[in-house]
Amino acid sequence: MREGTFNDIVKNNIPRSDKFVDMSRFHYLEPDFDRPIYKVPSEYKEKIMEKLSFLYGLNEAKNWYNEVERLMKVYHAYKTPQMILWEKEFDPAQRFTEEDVILITYGDLIQSKKTLPLETLAKFCRKYLRNAINTLHILPFFPYSSDRGFAITDFEEVDPRLGRWENIEDLKSDFKLMFDGVFNHVSSKSRWFQEFRNGNPDYKNFFSVFSTKDAISEDHLRLIVRPRTSDLLTEFSTLNGRRWVWTTFSPDQVDLNYKNPKVLMRVIDIMLTYVRRGADIIRLDAVTYLWTELGTECVHLKQTHMIIKLFRNILDAVAPHVALITETNVPHEENISYFGNGNDEAQMVYNFALPPLVLHAFQTGNSTTLTKWAATLKKVSDTATYFNFLDSHDGIGLNAVRGILSKEEIEMMCLRAIEHGGFISYKTEGDGTISPYEINITWYSAMNREDAGESDDFQVKRFLASRSIALAMLGVPGIYLHSLFGSKNDAEAVLEEKQTRSINRMVIDEENLISALENPDTTTHKVAKGFGEMIAKRIKEKAFHPHADQKILNISDKLFALIRSSVDKDEHILCITNVANKEETIDITPEVTGIKTNSWYDILSGKTIFTNAGTLSLHLQPYDVLWLKVKTNYPIVSY
Amino acid sequence: MDKFSIREEMGGEVVVIEAPARLDASVASDFRAKMGEFVDKGKNKIVVNLAKTEFMDSSGLGALVSRIATSRANKGDIRLASPTAHTLKLLEITHLNKIFKIFDDVNSAIESFKQE
Repeated sequence: MREGTFNDIVKNNIPRSDKFVDMSRFHYLEPDFDRPIYKVPSEYKEKIMEKLSFLYGLNEAKNWYNEVERLMKVYHAYKTPQMILWEKEFDPAQRFTEEDVILITYGDLIQSKKTLPLETLAKFCRKYLRNAINTLHILPFFPYSSDRGFAITDFEEVDPRLGRWENIEDLKSDFKLMFDGVFNHVSSKSRWFQEFRNGNPDYKNFFSVFSTKDAISEDHLRLIVRPRTSDLLTEFSTLNGRRWVWTTFSPDQVDLNYKNPKVLMRVIDIMLTYVRRGADIIRLDAVTYLWTELGTECVHLKQTHMIIKLFRNILDAVAPHVALITETNVPHEENISYFGNGNDEAQMVYNFALPPLVLHAFQTGNSTTLTKWAATLKKVSDTATYFNFLDSHDGIGLNAVRGILSKEEIEMMCLRAIEHGGFISYKTEGDGTISPYEINITWYSAMNREDAGESDDFQVKRFLASRSIALAMLGVPGIYLHSLFGSKNDAEAVLEEKQTRSINRMVIDEENLISALENPDTTTHKVAKGFGEMIAKRIKEKAFHPHADQKILNISDKLFALIRSSVDKDEHILCITNVANKEETIDITPEVTGIKTNSWYDILSGKTIFTNAGTLSLHLQPYDVLWLKVKTNYPIVSY
Repeated sequence: MDKFSIREEMGGEVVVIEAPARLDASVASDFRAKMGEFVDKGKNKIVVNLAKTEFMDSSGLGALVSRIATSRANKGDIRLASPTAHTLKLLEITHLNKIFKIFDDVNSAIESFKQE
């Protein structure tokens, strides 16, 4: 018996399948040109022309609009009548709901000797996760040359080591899917770049190329924001001699030149290919760096925002169910600028400040900074929200908290993570100095150290307490596969692969994983069970809808507390997490919560807590989590 | 008796620990415990002499960093002396060379504490 696995815990609570539409039948394998060809509504034509004109000028825009329209028509011809019918009922305000929980994984993190990795993933997810997780973010599953998939050699094929397109389509019948749009760069081993090196005129301006190493002045170089310590320009031999090419991330990852409209057209074509192959969400990887202009920081340029808005217009017109999510490891204010006006750019933004601030709160046992920052988060719009992740295949990004935490606080946070067996990745600043870019560590190890002399149960409790915050906050929660099972650091892989990010990317043998899940004494089992129980509660509660109100309560420096109130204002959940390794006693009055009630019901423990004349008296043990629910027929009141 | 050769300098203010020839899983937990013992006693200025360490694995690295935050938070530090080429390579791969202050010899490492 698989006691305590996600499906066991969740299936008794909510039958997801009743609400699930089989979207694997939404696209044909061949376009149907016999039916009437799609006509772009004038509203969208105008919006698309506006973006193209901004990027390339009016005359060029007129020429290239026809190509955009052609791509949209071709895409539309792949849509099945079933999809067209379903789309008519699609409500963008309900694109994301309380039921959405996104699992982040590589296609080959779980492996078996018997099946291809994507088949193994599908089998495992169906058997163990389907009722808890409804969306899979499968990190780049295309052929690649480095950076664990992010140096793509062919955008349109599935890496044969992982599986085939049929495996992706198979997953689609049970899960929504998130694909990576790695549109900032391509592999230096890709055909596109090889054609450039071969002197093929079609690829002449596909990349940002310079004839000398020193072509970019020192003044300009200093301005350019860098996410790495590697050189910005990489030298390559070409048919036409030596050339120096813009490589933001590594010598193997060559930036695309969006000043060339042909590049944009190719990328739009790929994006629509992903949609017909099953993408419900497209993650715009490293999108900050898309457009470059010497004399600027080469990040967040207006042209970059305009390209994202153009993608949104195209998708809204032909595939409105598909959302864009931007991955921008930058200071918080700049990060949320990718929402645009809330209705015209990304529908979701990685909430990059959340992981380091939760880590800081648990390291220090003090929630003050987290509470202060969280109070600034407001509902974005009826169509956009935050992606609340604590960990991913990359590290815990630090850029987002510059200006929120001091330099000294960030440095101490890094040192504490190092004490827990983590490592730090660095970036080069404009003045040539280096500074921490991200912490490389598993979230379980970030929370716990192996030599602390604490019980396994206590460490699991601390870990789950930290995870409760991302499950409760405004937005859609994302969970990296290794956190679902409480994986610890794989430091040996760092030494073997000479890559600090390898600490959190170990491959798990399917049989070993299942064996650990089924053994109640393992950390894996305890974490999975605890996580599953929280998710099971979360996905039933309309107060956790991404558009439900959120009010942050500043009630104690040991506690992180918030109230979520359902969109219809009927239900409220007071979520309290003790971030400290200390007990805390507190009285919470109706003036603080805005709710007068005789009792609160803890949906996690199933216990009812009665108030004293409306005042809630609580005594919390270290790392206790309470999700206290009350039903009222009035909105919460500000006293 | 200690598994590791230990001496105190600067009137007991600085502790010098000689790392073994192999700093791996077989000794890492003892080494980690020894570092913890000093830091817990308030001896936060530590020099680790790596001159004899020909081999180190991830558990050895883990032991080296196991009290780095605590020592610095208490106005101390853990500093490395005379790392071999193998150790230096590991420190570079893990970017710990940017965290640790590394010295060519033990005396320079001790001296660096005197100058503060």
